[in-house]
This record gives sequence, C-alpha cells and structure tokens, in this order.
Amino acid sequence: MKEEVRLMKGNEAIAHAAVRYGCDGYFGYPITPQSEVLETLEELMPWETTGMVVLQAESEVAAINMVYGGAATGKAVMTSSSSPGVSLKQEGISYIAAASLPALILNVMRGGPGLGTIQPSQADYFQAVKGGGHGDYHLIVLAPSSVQEMVDFVGLGFDLAFKYRNPAMILADGIVGQMMEKVVLPEQRPRRTDEEIREQCPWAVTGRKDGRKRNIVTSLELESSKMEEINEMLQARYREIEKNETRWEEIDVEDAEYLIIAFGSIARICDKAREIAREKGIKVGIIRPITLWPFPAEAIRKAAEGKKGILVVELNAGQMVEDVRLAVHDSLPVEHYGRMGGIIPSPDEVVGALEKRIINK
Amino acid sequence: MKEEIIIAGFGGQGVLSMGKILAYSGLMDDKEVTWMPSYGPEQRGGTANVTVILSDEKISSPVLDRYDIVVALNQQSLDKFAPKVKEGGMLIYDTSGIHKHPDRKDIRICPINAMEATIEMGNSKAYNMIVMGALLEAMDYKLPMENVVKGLKKSLPDRHHHLIPLNQAAIEKGKSLI
Repeated sequence: MKEEVRLMKGNEAIAHAAVRYGCDGYFGYPITPQSEVLETLEELMPWETTGMVVLQAESEVAAINMVYGGAATGKAVMTSSSSPGVSLKQEGISYIAAASLPALILNVMRGGPGLGTIQPSQADYFQAVKGGGHGDYHLIVLAPSSVQEMVDFVGLGFDLAFKYRNPAMILADGIVGQMMEKVVLPEQRPRRTDEEIREQCPWAVTGRKDGRKRNIVTSLELESSKMEEINEMLQARYREIEKNETRWEEIDVEDAEYLIIAFGSIARICDKAREIAREKGIKVGIIRPITLWPFPAEAIRKAAEGKKGILVVELNAGQMVEDVRLAVHDSLPVEHYGRMGGIIPSPDEVVGALEKRIINK
Repeated sequence: MKEEIIIAGFGGQGVLSMGKILAYSGLMDDKEVTWMPSYGPEQRGGTANVTVILSDEKISSPVLDRYDIVVALNQQSLDKFAPKVKEGGMLIYDTSGIHKHPDRKDIRICPINAMEATIEMGNSKAYNMIVMGALLEAMDYKLPMENVVKGLKKSLPDRHHHLIPLNQAAIEKGKSLI
C-alpha cells in the first residue's frame, strides 16, 4: 500500500493506527475528549477486514477486564478513555501489570479532579507514572505531542508491551486528541495467527492442543515468599526497561542558558515560546520527555550541567516537576509553571513565566 | 509562508467545518497544517472557534495568542479576538448584528456583509463558504482554487460531493465581497 498523507484528529489517528497494526481487539466506553477513537473504529468496521473486534463495553471497568482476558490469550488488545474513566480502570491495570500481560491503554486527559471539565489537562501524570492502581508496578508511558506520534506510539506501545510483557500507556491530552494534522499511516499488517501467538507468546492461555504444560495467568499468589519473587522479577524487568527504552527529544539545548521541560502537546507550545524567547535574545532550549516512565532523568541531569535554571511547564499543579527536581538534585533552580482546569497557556505566557520565575528571580 | 488564523463565531455557523476545508485545501497545496478546535459545548450553541495554521515549515504550537488573521462572525468573537490580531495583521468580520465596530489603526480591517450575501444566494448553508471566499481573497497567501476544490472533496463525505459546485459558487461570491 502506498504511503498516504492524510489529515486527521489524534483520536481518529489512534483508531486507524490500531487497525493498521493488526490489533486484535478494542474495548472501550465513550467519554469526551476521546470518543472519536471508538466512533472511528465503528466507522472503519475492521471486523469485516482484519477481523479485529471492536466492542463498546457496558462500563470502563468491564472494558479493562475484557482487555485483561484478551491479553491473557496473547492477543494484541487495547482500551481508551479519558481521566475519570481511566481512574475506573486502575484496578484492572494493576492486575494486568501483576499478571505480566501486554496491553495498550490510551488516556486522553481532561481537567480534573472529579468529573472536572472536558478541556485538556496533564493532571494524570502521577497516576500514569507512579502507579495509579495498587502495588509496586510500572506502565511504560508514552507522551505524544503530535497526531503523527499518536499513530507511531500505537505501534511502539504494542511492540514494547509484547517485548517486556508489560502494559503500556499512551498519555495524551485533549489538544493532541482533538487537533487535526497531517499523518502518514503505516502499512496494513496482518493480525497474528493463532500459530504465531502460540510460538511468540508461550505464556499465553491458548488451549493445550499440543499437550504442553498448563499456563496459568493470575495476579494472585498467597505465599509471601513467592509473591516477593514475583515482585523481584517485575523490578528486574523495570530496570531493564529503564536501561533500554528511555526516550526524549532535545531542541537547542547545547547553547541554551535556560531549559524548558514539558511533555506532550505543551512541549509544542513551549517550543513556540523558545522561538519567541530567542528573538528577544534569551537562549532557551527544550527537553521533551517522550517516555514519562522510564523518565529521562540522566539525560536531564546531563543537559542541565552549566545551565542557569529550568522551568517545567505542565497542565497541572506541579507533577513532572518533582521528577525533574529528583534528576538534578539542587544543582540549579527548578521552577514550575502550570495551568489547571482545562486552561491552556499561550507561548507568550510561558516566556513571561520564564522571565519572572527563573531569569529575574 | 506562514498564516496563523483563528475563525470564531456562533456554534452552528460552520466555523469548524470552514476551518477543516481551509486546512484540507492547505494540505492539497503541500503545506504543513494544524487545525485546533474549541471542542466544548459550543457545538450546541454559544461561541465556537478554530485555529488553523498553514505553513511551509513544521508547525510548533497549535495554540496561539496572537494571529495573522482573525475572522470574527459575531460581536463576542470580535470583542475577544480583535485585540489579538498581530500588528500589521488582518481582521475580517461580518457586519451583520455588529453594533460595536473595531477601531484599531495598526491592522487591516475588512468588514464584509456575508449574511446579506447568503440571503442573496438563497441558501443559508452557503454562509461559511462565503466567509471562506472573503478570507481566501484577503489573505496574502494565495491558495489556488483547484486546491480548494480538492480540499472540499477531501473534507466532505461522498454523499455531499454534488454540493461542491454550490460551495464553489459561494466561495466566488465571498471573494467579490473584498
């Protein structure tokens, strides 16, 4: 199939990318600002082409448990929601992580807490990277800043999830979900056959046709010594992911005197702020963490050497800023600028915050 | 070339779809484009707006606070966005229903009576394409009409393709207002 440039919303792009990846099943429940994911899948009717299942569940809780079940059989399955709905999924997410299953979860964040607003937010950073559900587990968390990355991270998310047998989350926001941009979709991949799944996922519950040992997928282990072993195995896996999969983008960092650190769509607003600041003679560089977990702490620590200060800009009251402070210790001033409740800062506002909170402090 | 545009009006005036057709037309003209809507309850009335950026180069922020061109289709939008036109930029607004006109001297102001032109055409659904015609005519960046037609084809579902000549006529009508 020829590469085709199209214009689409981030949410629509997720749906197209899921079908193109060869995803086996999507289970969701509508909520603004991500309902177009389910709507687009219903329009695409992939059950008639690739055989992918698209199901509107009776609730978010049901949807994540359908993902749990599907993942246990080695299928590439996903769900999507927005903040309040993702809160409902947390128990299931913890179970999936504990059972060492690959799955993809999309959160198109909206302003909270509570039902909050339908406008963009990044206030679920802590929930996504620090747990959200109970127990010591991590999701691989990818933060897209463009519609193209919405497409790319579906493939990357599934690939990483299967490589490490660990759930991955795309942590997007209402801006990148609702905006339209040019995208290039990947070529259509076939869904994996049952034979391929049996071969690639020897842990999956696929039916013991070949007389192999019974596979048990569970998050329950009542014997403490065994449960500690499971935890140690998970922790070893997390160290491996940290070593191999940390991703970030740097713009104009080398000659910069100040750094702005931001993720997702807000990094693009900060990039515009960088342009404006540089026109005024303020040398600003940008670091955009692409994986929020594993967090690019070492890259930030190195980039911060010799700089005069860091401004962390987020659509929340100050969440990723804690990880930035941990990364650089107290080697330079780190300040936060955030808007909440669905308000989006303008590029000028970011420059103003940099001047007030860092440069002229 | 870079045009940073906001189109603002009442929900239901066709603001978002006009932005979409403009974005598609830019795409057909090989430009980088972003289309960022206000996606709140505006769809059901109240004010709606969409930011469209057309550029030769990669676009950083899809959200802006100053614009090269503001298209305002009601008083609230005019009041809110007229101060946000960049110095030397352009303000296009529909004069129908406007009681407080803009008085900035540092920008180009293009009042149009798109509502009246719509009534002349006898089809209320042509309104947003009349406004788009005026925008295309007034803009420094000249988007070739053939790419606008391609943009219309791309952004309208097949079942509405028979309406493309009507849309083209509305765009031409809008161009004559400038």
